[in-house]
Amino acid sequence: MDFELTEKQKLVRRKVRTFAEDILAPVAPVVDKELRFSWDTAKELSKINAWGIQMPEKYGGACLDSISFAITIEEISRVCPSTGLSLTVHNSVGAYPIYEWGSEEQKEKYLYAIASGKKLAAFTWTEPNAGSDAAGIESIAIEDGNYYILNGSKIFVTNGGVASVFLIGARYKRENGQKGIGVFIVEKDMDGLEIGNVEDKLGMRGSSTTSLYFHDIKIPKANVLGNISDGFKIAMQTLDVGRIGIAAQAVGVSQAAYELSVEYSKGRIQFNRPISQFQGVSFKLAEMATNIDAARLLVYRAANLRDKNKPFSKESAMCKYFASDVAKEVTKEAIQIHGGYGFMKDLALERFYRDAPVLSIYEGTNEIMKIIIARQILRGNL
Amino acid sequence: MYKIFVLLKQVPKSQNLQIDKNSGTLIRKNIETIINPDDLNGLELGLTIKEQYGGEVTAISMGPLQAKAALREALAMGVDHAILICDPQFAHSDTLQTTLVLKETFNKIKEYDIIITGRETSDSSTGQVPFQLSEALDIPLITDIFSFELENNIFLCQRNFGHESQNIKVNLPVLIRIGKHFNEPRHIPLLGIKKAFDKKIEIFNYECFDCPEYIDGCNKSPTQVVSIEKFYPKRKNEFLNGTITDKTQEVIEIMKDHGIERIYTGKEE
Repeated sequence: MDFELTEKQKLVRRKVRTFAEDILAPVAPVVDKELRFSWDTAKELSKINAWGIQMPEKYGGACLDSISFAITIEEISRVCPSTGLSLTVHNSVGAYPIYEWGSEEQKEKYLYAIASGKKLAAFTWTEPNAGSDAAGIESIAIEDGNYYILNGSKIFVTNGGVASVFLIGARYKRENGQKGIGVFIVEKDMDGLEIGNVEDKLGMRGSSTTSLYFHDIKIPKANVLGNISDGFKIAMQTLDVGRIGIAAQAVGVSQAAYELSVEYSKGRIQFNRPISQFQGVSFKLAEMATNIDAARLLVYRAANLRDKNKPFSKESAMCKYFASDVAKEVTKEAIQIHGGYGFMKDLALERFYRDAPVLSIYEGTNEIMKIIIARQILRGNL
Repeated sequence: MYKIFVLLKQVPKSQNLQIDKNSGTLIRKNIETIINPDDLNGLELGLTIKEQYGGEVTAISMGPLQAKAALREALAMGVDHAILICDPQFAHSDTLQTTLVLKETFNKIKEYDIIITGRETSDSSTGQVPFQLSEALDIPLITDIFSFELENNIFLCQRNFGHESQNIKVNLPVLIRIGKHFNEPRHIPLLGIKKAFDKKIEIFNYECFDCPEYIDGCNKSPTQVVSIEKFYPKRKNEFLNGTITDKTQEVIEIMKDHGIERIYTGKEE
């Protein structure tokens, strides 16, 4: 067992950090304020292969391991969590399922464009009547000759307003439950796809969240991802991967708030000494450091299992649940340490504080994470 | 196919360097290291020349084995090959000894068109190697260029010359020393990092060369750094009184006294 990163992983951390501080730091507060996705940033991210971190070189990716993926998402999110969100979703639930279950033709047609960042991808599942109850989706794709005709709608679609390729879960049979659900690849300019307005959100405002409406979209049969009857399984396995990214994002958010707190508490003098010298504050810092370390190690453990082709569903649920709770706690305590200054928009801290809550909601709420973990435990996977 | 070589040095990152009180040298153990900032501009220039005119870029560094990390970073940035000159015999070389080893290196390499260096290193700031190396190899040195072109083995460039610029035309091979503001070093792509670890860093040690006797690291170095001390610059505050116009005029006078003559007034002269 080795708790040290490899030289390669360390270099990834150093270089992504430099990139984030140079390129993302100036725009992070702007995209937050203006509620907009930055295409300029997207182009810069293409230059460093960040849209295809784990994809093979022939598809325009960087061919790195899952730990390097987690490091990249963490470092990006440490500066701009919104960008971290667009990236992790694109990589883990956009590019990955096409790579894993896509046909050669689908990879040829979509994967290069996605992994090189020429086209952005989105994965859509949640509907007005189906959130945590993922098997409750109602969007329906009825077979018609060489096509499926898709109707229905999706909400809370990350990258909704910027993606060109959508992976959409829909029923192909009028049945209830997990059976009869397929995943379909839908292109932005297919007739019948209507993209809703960009949602105004508490946090992660630099990423584009929209609804989608489907009006008789004719989807060629060649655009079914994998086996049509495997839709639900594909979605669940994809989300296992996605959660590692969300957890890494949470570690990045926590790290940012923690670093700001250490810095501030060393410089803020009250009662003739830096407030960091009061136990009330220093204990907070110690708790933050310990929790962030634990969260990060859980993320690396899940990523490492994935790299070793071992089951990691329980571990990715654990890291996602723990890291996102840590992010909420750390950002809250960071504001307390900063006092009134922490509450002001002049500092970046309140942005991280607003970005944190959704981490325990999207890609499966923390309550669902606990169900996944508990099911595995009770099935004997202690 | 131009053969381009970029010289680089691994230096400590910290602005807050610690000095060993006994030996009077910088403590280099367990500190974060980086590529010397000027050399990043050198690497960028090397890669730009390759992309615009074709060629192969080799990064060369001289130092202990841990300097491989700096060369690995250069490979990640996009250079094709990396060479580390590393031998206890070369340890603690001063600039002249370093130059003499570099001379042997280029004699061994034989074919080179463009050698690029930065202005100076952030950890010793001597800035002597480019001048010495051009002498040792007997090739022209051009400093502080701000634009260039390559045409049939001829290097055409413009260089800063006080308030004027010189247009220079020179046959290859040439040594170019560039400064920080010449270009903007690119960000390292993730694929570059992946590829960098699939490549080999070639090691040149003492045995590789047929070294003349005068090459012997610190033993034959004409300069010896006796000790290093921290330097605390003394700052002087001066308060100017009067109207804003008076104060502006006074600032202009003070700047003139310090040799800053051309002042933008917003009006045509």
